[in-house]
Amino acid sequence: MDTPRIAVIQFPGVNCEYETLRLLVECGFLATLVRWNEDPRRLPNFEGFVLPGGFSYQDRVRAGAVAARDPIVEALKLEASQGKPILGICNGAQVLVEAGLVPGPDDDGPIVALAPNRMPGRGGYYCRWVYLKVNKAKRETAFTSRFEEGAVVPMPVAHGEGRFTARDEAIFEGFVDTGQVPLTYCAADGGPAAEFPDNPNGAAADAAALTNEAGNVMAIMPHPERAAWLRQVPLNLAGEWGERRQAASRNRVELDGAGPGRRLFLSMHDYIRWRRERESSPAPSGTTR
Amino acid sequence: MMPESDKTVSVLPVDRDLADRLTEARVRLNLDEARRVAALLGRPPTLVELVLFDTMWSEHCSYKSSRSVLKEFLPTEAPNVLLGPGEDAGIIYLTSHKGERWGLVVAHESHNHPSQVVPAEGAATGVGGIVRDVYCMGADVVGVLDALRFGDLTGESAERCREVAEGVVTGIWQYANALGVPNLGGDVWFDSGYDDNCLVNVVAVGVVREKDIVRSRVPKVAADEPYDVILLGKPTDASGFGGASFSSAVLSEADLELNKGAVQLPDPFLKRVIVEATRQALAFCRSEKAAIGFKDLGAGGIACVTSELAAHGGFGMDIDLDREVQDGGPFPAEVVACSETQERFCLVVPSRLSAAVLRIYNEDFELPRVYPGAGARVIGNVRNDGRYRVTYRGVVVVDAPVTVITEGIRYDRPSRPVPPAGQPASLPPIADFAELVLRMVAHPNVASREYIYRHYDTEVQARAIFRPGEADAALFLPIPGSPIGVAVSVDGNPRYGRLDPYRGGLTAVAEAMRNVAAIGATPACLTDCLNFGNPEDPEVFHEFRESVRGLGDAARRLGLKGEPGAPVPFVSGNVSLYNFSATGRAIPPSPIVACFGILEDYSRAVGQTARRARSLLVLVGARRAEHGGSIAADLLGVSGGQPPTVDFDHECSVLYGVIDAIDRGLVLSCHDISDGGLIITLFEMLVDSELGVRLDLPTTMFGLPWMEALLSESGGFLMEVVEDQFTLVQSLFERQDVAPMVVGVLHDDRTIDIVAGGERRAMIAMEELTAAFRRTIPELMG
Repeated sequence: MDTPRIAVIQFPGVNCEYETLRLLVECGFLATLVRWNEDPRRLPNFEGFVLPGGFSYQDRVRAGAVAARDPIVEALKLEASQGKPILGICNGAQVLVEAGLVPGPDDDGPIVALAPNRMPGRGGYYCRWVYLKVNKAKRETAFTSRFEEGAVVPMPVAHGEGRFTARDEAIFEGFVDTGQVPLTYCAADGGPAAEFPDNPNGAAADAAALTNEAGNVMAIMPHPERAAWLRQVPLNLAGEWGERRQAASRNRVELDGAGPGRRLFLSMHDYIRWRRERESSPAPSGTTR
Repeated sequence: MMPESDKTVSVLPVDRDLADRLTEARVRLNLDEARRVAALLGRPPTLVELVLFDTMWSEHCSYKSSRSVLKEFLPTEAPNVLLGPGEDAGIIYLTSHKGERWGLVVAHESHNHPSQVVPAEGAATGVGGIVRDVYCMGADVVGVLDALRFGDLTGESAERCREVAEGVVTGIWQYANALGVPNLGGDVWFDSGYDDNCLVNVVAVGVVREKDIVRSRVPKVAADEPYDVILLGKPTDASGFGGASFSSAVLSEADLELNKGAVQLPDPFLKRVIVEATRQALAFCRSEKAAIGFKDLGAGGIACVTSELAAHGGFGMDIDLDREVQDGGPFPAEVVACSETQERFCLVVPSRLSAAVLRIYNEDFELPRVYPGAGARVIGNVRNDGRYRVTYRGVVVVDAPVTVITEGIRYDRPSRPVPPAGQPASLPPIADFAELVLRMVAHPNVASREYIYRHYDTEVQARAIFRPGEADAALFLPIPGSPIGVAVSVDGNPRYGRLDPYRGGLTAVAEAMRNVAAIGATPACLTDCLNFGNPEDPEVFHEFRESVRGLGDAARRLGLKGEPGAPVPFVSGNVSLYNFSATGRAIPPSPIVACFGILEDYSRAVGQTARRARSLLVLVGARRAEHGGSIAADLLGVSGGQPPTVDFDHECSVLYGVIDAIDRGLVLSCHDISDGGLIITLFEMLVDSELGVRLDLPTTMFGLPWMEALLSESGGFLMEVVEDQFTLVQSLFERQDVAPMVVGVLHDDRTIDIVAGGERRAMIAMEELTAAFRRTIPELMG
């Protein structure tokens, strides 16, 4: 079978495109860098998309706001509506939210935003490994099939504006109910986020990621691509992954193996194959995902 | 006023209002220097020429005071050097991977004066400038580090010092995080000697395939085919006009406002787009098999970069300033020629490729759209005759043989020894050791730096293995797919330099090397930034000479492991003089050294955090009564005395023994002994663990009472070793002529339990120490 074809969209000012490409190749994708001003008619050739982190257009107006108005994003909306998986990481998440791809279009304008971090005793940018918990009891998404429900997945955050917030707080509770918050910040042992920095930015409902209604587009603030190899896990990280990292000292084969964030991309890989199978053999009527 | 240099020139008559013109143009050349310019040109200089020579002959660009000292003392050649000092960055051989040879590209600079005036922009520009130096070698930049020296945040100028410190940290994160270059580490010192002059030293690291190295000069083949000069990046504005000359001047309160114009405006976003476009442009030139020249614009702007590219290749140039786009002009010729507008590079390419190269920048990456006025344009062409001519609005504003412009000048400054520091300081009796340790961990120069480094993106590019706080040195993977790891540390203890500049130099090198060795990496090269006061003051110049002599001696005597007789080479560096205020107060002698080490297999590296209960803590490195400048001395009110020295033979045995022990897997964790001595090293090994320790000491060790031995800052290491491997460690060091000493055993209780001579002397709760350790910096800076 052909290798799943995925595009990494390079807006001016993004800066995580190369490690994202490297990881996608490692996960078995055919990954291609597509510049923001290339012909949008290229997009239908791809089966999935990643919007990498960085500072597109200098975070002018608001992070992600200018890129969200680039013509290529219109083309992405069309791809999304067909059910192709689209993952926005950090600045890419901000672009998806600004573009209304996540949580979805609303007649009254954007209902969700990524606001400046709220952190006791400090301001600005914050970079640290944190813990995410997988919550998919309500529904599966294109990015979580390889994780166990309740799994604790450490990965780093690195942002100044990563606080998921909504016009009113109840909206986020609604997203939790519909299963659109598949990853939440938690304590090292998987318990609920207690104090800073468990929830490193003050996000509503401890949301680290938010999907659209269909579950094929996800905005995630932490960086799974920076947690894709065991060697990237900090030596002193508490919990199971930190213990694995320590135990793998002097064992390069282990260290060069999978880290906690890799399953997110492998899930995307599975999802693309599942879509192919579904398309090649028409599904029984009534089957939806 | 200056002693004449080694070169005598006849002084031709020049126009009589020269002095007035210098003042009016804010040119800092003195009258003698201006006359020499006229003599070299054989006619009165134009205003643009005066400004150009002002920059080229500034301390910043010409090293006019320092060059002879650097040449005398610093070793720059070793078998691993691919490119030593002289261009924007140095390069050493790193490894071969998949049949290709790779180089490690390193550069080190200061941005002290601008950071004192406008801290955020000044520091950001410092990062922006140093990464350009690495990019322009054709390399990818894979990390930056910063060595910061701030004033006393509890002293007389606390408020201003805090503003500077906050601003500098903000500038660093705002620039580097946006650019997508990880901040690998660095160090921070607080000292009243920096109340009026902060130091912001930045180090950049890059990687490049050896065959892709681009030189900062017009290539030889330009003799056979036409070559164009392409300027790319931000449109020229008036920012940073006179910056190089400013950085070589004295800071006074009154000048602060005026000098703000000499600080450039940084833009990491535009830089990021330029870097991506340049990646394509260089690949295109390689595919066309075209030799090119590439250099970043820094001090002295267009005129400096183009004249240096021409001179280093042995060519001349015609530059037409009318072709450059101006932002906010029209500016006079000297501003267009010499402003230090940020985010610009200069490419020298065959004329036949110019259109295609311009297309990459202007159309593929749409520079003019992503930043108004930005772009790439041809501003001139290469000449074969060595003549350098600049025109503006139909007038020739510079016209000289290019070597006249770039040759520079030298001074041999007089130096006068400072009165000796005096006797070794002895510590007064210590009534309550536990209480002293609690104060030590809360000392601003010991306390946790986490508040600062959490602002920095350590993870971007996904190369990080060890981050700040995890080990003595940063560790990252330079080449995806290769097992090779690179370790970096940057060091320099101002309290030592103040007491004894020679020892300050020695220990700066030794400490940087120890930090790299402590994770198991082998030191491969060094860079330095030499921050001092006014070189025209003979005592300051003596401090400078002594410090550099210390750096050179340590680099030579500690040497490259496995290469008998070869030094650890200095491959790049920078000198920052005139770091003194109008009140005449100079900074302490501050040589700051970065050491780069290589691990053939990154998985063998060890961190500083203790791992297992029941492991032994093993000391290597003799303790000596050299408490001058120590943390304990500071807290106990002892000033003066001798700071630690470096016993070369002993240090080599210890340093290289530790590397071998880690390589063989005999060490679970390791931390070097520095600020605060063994007791602080021990605390730092425990702070992020769940362990404690029982120290079991003789009452006297190395001839010192046990308390003094725990506080001595003599170099050395603590290694965590599993009990049944201790004999292997012993036999390894026996060959190196060092006796490893078991000082304690790790246990599950969170206490430091000190037994000396069989008697319990102190029991300190880790919890209390940890809280104090983490509280200080947020309280001072937050």
